[in-house]
Amino acid sequence: MKQHPLCTDCENPVTPLDLPISAAAKRQWAVNETRRRFLGRSGKVLGWAALAGLFGELCVRSYAAGSDLDSLSAEGNGLSLPHFAPKAKRAIYLFMSGGPSQVDLFDYKPNLAAQFNKDMPDSIRGNQQLTGMTAGQAHFPVAPSHWPFGRHGQTGTWVSSLLPYTARLVDELTIIKATNTDAINHEPAIMLMNTGNMNAGKPCLGAWLAYGLGSMNDNLPTFIVLQTKTNPRENNQPVSSRLWSSGFLSSEYAGVGLRSGSDPVLYLADPAGVDRDVRREMLDTVEQINRQTLAEVGDPETNARIAQYEMAFRMQSSVPELTDLSKEPQSTWDLYGPEAKEPGTFAYNCLLARRMAERGVRFTQIYKRGWDVHGDAVGMLPILCQETDRGAYALVTDLKRRGLLDDTLVIWAGEFGRTVYSQGGLTQENYGRDHHPRCFTTWMAGGGVRPGITYGETDDYSYNVVKDPVHVRDFNATILHCLGIDHSKFTYKFQGLDQKLTSPVPAHVVQGLLA
Amino acid sequence: MNIAEQLSDALRSLRTRIVTPQWRGTLGLSAVLLALPFAVRLNGQQHADWLQFLGRFHPLLVHLPIGLLVLLPILEVAATNRPNLRDAARFVLYLTLVTGAISLVFGILLAYGAGVVGSTLTRHMWGGIALMIELLACVTVRPAWSSGQLRIYPALLAVAFLTLMWTAHQGGSLTHGSDYLTRYMPGQLKRFLPTAASDAAYAGSVYASNIHPILDAKCVACHGASKEHSGLRLDFYELLMKGGKDGAIITPGNPGRSLLLQRVTLSPSDRHFMPAEGRTPLSPSEIADMRAWIVAGASPTATSVPGIAQVAVNVELPLQAVGDYSSLMKEIRQMQRSQGAKLVSVSANPSDGLILRTIDAPSKFDDARLARFYRFAPFIVEAELGRTAISDACLDTLSKFTNLRALHLEGTAVTGRSLSKLSSLSQLRYLNLSGTRVTADALAPLKGMPNLRHIYLFDTPAEPASAAQDGTPGSTQ
Repeated sequence: MKQHPLCTDCENPVTPLDLPISAAAKRQWAVNETRRRFLGRSGKVLGWAALAGLFGELCVRSYAAGSDLDSLSAEGNGLSLPHFAPKAKRAIYLFMSGGPSQVDLFDYKPNLAAQFNKDMPDSIRGNQQLTGMTAGQAHFPVAPSHWPFGRHGQTGTWVSSLLPYTARLVDELTIIKATNTDAINHEPAIMLMNTGNMNAGKPCLGAWLAYGLGSMNDNLPTFIVLQTKTNPRENNQPVSSRLWSSGFLSSEYAGVGLRSGSDPVLYLADPAGVDRDVRREMLDTVEQINRQTLAEVGDPETNARIAQYEMAFRMQSSVPELTDLSKEPQSTWDLYGPEAKEPGTFAYNCLLARRMAERGVRFTQIYKRGWDVHGDAVGMLPILCQETDRGAYALVTDLKRRGLLDDTLVIWAGEFGRTVYSQGGLTQENYGRDHHPRCFTTWMAGGGVRPGITYGETDDYSYNVVKDPVHVRDFNATILHCLGIDHSKFTYKFQGLDQKLTSPVPAHVVQGLLA
Repeated sequence: MNIAEQLSDALRSLRTRIVTPQWRGTLGLSAVLLALPFAVRLNGQQHADWLQFLGRFHPLLVHLPIGLLVLLPILEVAATNRPNLRDAARFVLYLTLVTGAISLVFGILLAYGAGVVGSTLTRHMWGGIALMIELLACVTVRPAWSSGQLRIYPALLAVAFLTLMWTAHQGGSLTHGSDYLTRYMPGQLKRFLPTAASDAAYAGSVYASNIHPILDAKCVACHGASKEHSGLRLDFYELLMKGGKDGAIITPGNPGRSLLLQRVTLSPSDRHFMPAEGRTPLSPSEIADMRAWIVAGASPTATSVPGIAQVAVNVELPLQAVGDYSSLMKEIRQMQRSQGAKLVSVSANPSDGLILRTIDAPSKFDDARLARFYRFAPFIVEAELGRTAISDACLDTLSKFTNLRALHLEGTAVTGRSLSKLSSLSQLRYLNLSGTRVTADALAPLKGMPNLRHIYLFDTPAEPASAAQDGTPGSTQ
């Protein structure tokens, strides 16, 4: 029996679309909501909304409650660090931005003199991709170092005459000749060296350390960056705050950059008419407001802001004391040289780094730019070495005589090395050198590393590593090891990955470097 | 009826039982249980957090079947007098089986999620699986027992009970540590325990500097405390010499008959080549060192062996572990707030000790404040007192910090008059007196301290004259 079209049959409900009405009216019907449909759906929607409301509040509340200052630190995230008793409590990183020439400083290749102006064998160069600056060259003429090398120290280590002060240190140094990287241009290489990743957005070594090990002195930042004044004659590659950023870690772990002028932190003194009590009251009120914001929004960055305000307040008294060099004895100036009296020089920064080490700054990074000698190497390298050699020597020596080198790790490194072949014209008097990622020389000294050794070897052209390569990842893993951290367990969950300084590619602590 | 007939009778009745569907089910389930560890491979890697979250309920759940299994024999025995308990016993047996299965699954979730491996864990897991199979068998034979046909049920129950005790002990060792039961055992009883292996006595020997590091880097991952392939452990000298299930692996003086050396020098494609599974083989120089050491008699104490260039490291005596301060954490935090100095953990491992850190407000830290930290003295391994307001009197307090390894007194008013008080600090390795008024004469009492290797005297009257010039190090070693 055929049913009447308007019969109420729950199994096959009749809709207006079944009615003999015009197609336009049916379309109109499909677009509009019926009261029945609206009520039916709204019941479910309201149910879900209520559930989301209940749970949402619960989530936000637990997040806000959990995010007091501690929960963003490594300890709050369930990491207990250091993983094992560390050899070094703090580190000082002398970053030679631009890529110092290993061929002219440490990697002695006496046989190259006979190869002057001869083309480099293809077998050595292999299929390596070159930078745009030399890829077009028809010839790759070998440019032996312009400077003589000499043997130094008990270990008889070869060092160029460009570095007379560093040469005195060799028995203290762990020289790594086989450091190598993946990137051939400044920005990716310097990011890789500092953050373990060529792309920006990852935390740098200092931020990881600040996050993992925390502060030793509540009155100074855990991680401080010092920039050396640029010399306009040099080829200064830009150095930006990306290199000391905290990436996905809370902003309070980012490096605090001190200015290289005579005023390391601007507006440090309270303005006229504001005394310490007024300042304190103001900060207390600001903190109250920030805490309200935190409770409402739950953004962990608000915490970072609260912490930074407090740090700035304490730095108002600690930084003037830190940078007041008037009480330094004469022996300091004898060691660092007269340049150290001029704020912003490399020697001055090295002296500040020693003072910071004494005052419990966990990680200090000094940037020196200008090592990018594509041309006029003979003119530029003596200037660069003169600017940095004595400071580095004085820092290590000063730390040692004051008993600080036992638990301080000093690192000297750039982002890559330079080619043995000349960029542009090679003459008896001058040459240039292009970027070279396959091998470069770095050194470490102090807590945790074995003094007086040279690790790794390169081929006759200082072009490829032939023994004991140390990749940037292994280099960073070794630094973390010296500070008591197992790099493979030092992780932070972000974007669905257990992020590490040593990146997802396996890295190894270089046992041969350790004391 | 003689015994042989009885036996064949029993076998026959057993055979007729095995073909019943119930037995087939039991065998099938047992096979599934046995296959479980192979299906869910515990490879030491962590897996999703939710697995671990669920897994962590295992210790909670597992106590229900334990309690039930203890109750079961009581019920069975009591049922001889009160037959109505027999049904209860049957119910309890089923319940034990079901709850046991659930806790087994959660246990595997825990191990798999957390990525835990190790011999204790493996024993615990197989114990749990064996227990489940025994319970299945109990369930299967019990009807035959209650109808008087088969008497094996009580024996099976006893076996299950013993398995339970053993498995539970392994589980306890996992959560509380394997020395949980023995730590506070009276000394007279302790003598009967096997002594734990330790290589501390061999510090400075060729074994410690050259041989142990090779084994540690290349072998111990599979032949160590966490995994004991072939029953062989190479992490301690005694265990190395004991060998594994194939017997001793080192024949002192005879490298040709030392299995260890044979295995590492085979062709890498050989099935018996070590290290197995494509791990890094030993380098030729490592093999040469190993051979020379075996030729020389494989001594753990020899300090020189012909043919081995001993790795030139400062041979430092092993650090003495300090006690566990975890129970004092509350007081430690309180001290921090009230005394303006911090007690910081050296590492996550409590036996590494604490650092006394005064750097936040050194000028306020004086002798009286230091004295208040006396209570924590046994745990403090490093005292950072540089530039504090302490005086000579502090040495009285410090002489009781007997685990002190490093002492910073730089830039303080210490004159050195009473440095002899430090001679009670047998662990002291580092002493920084830079920038104090200490004279060379005052240092004389420190001469006899065997471990004290680093004394820093920069900017003091005691600084060697030659060192003051051109900034060469002002330390004496």
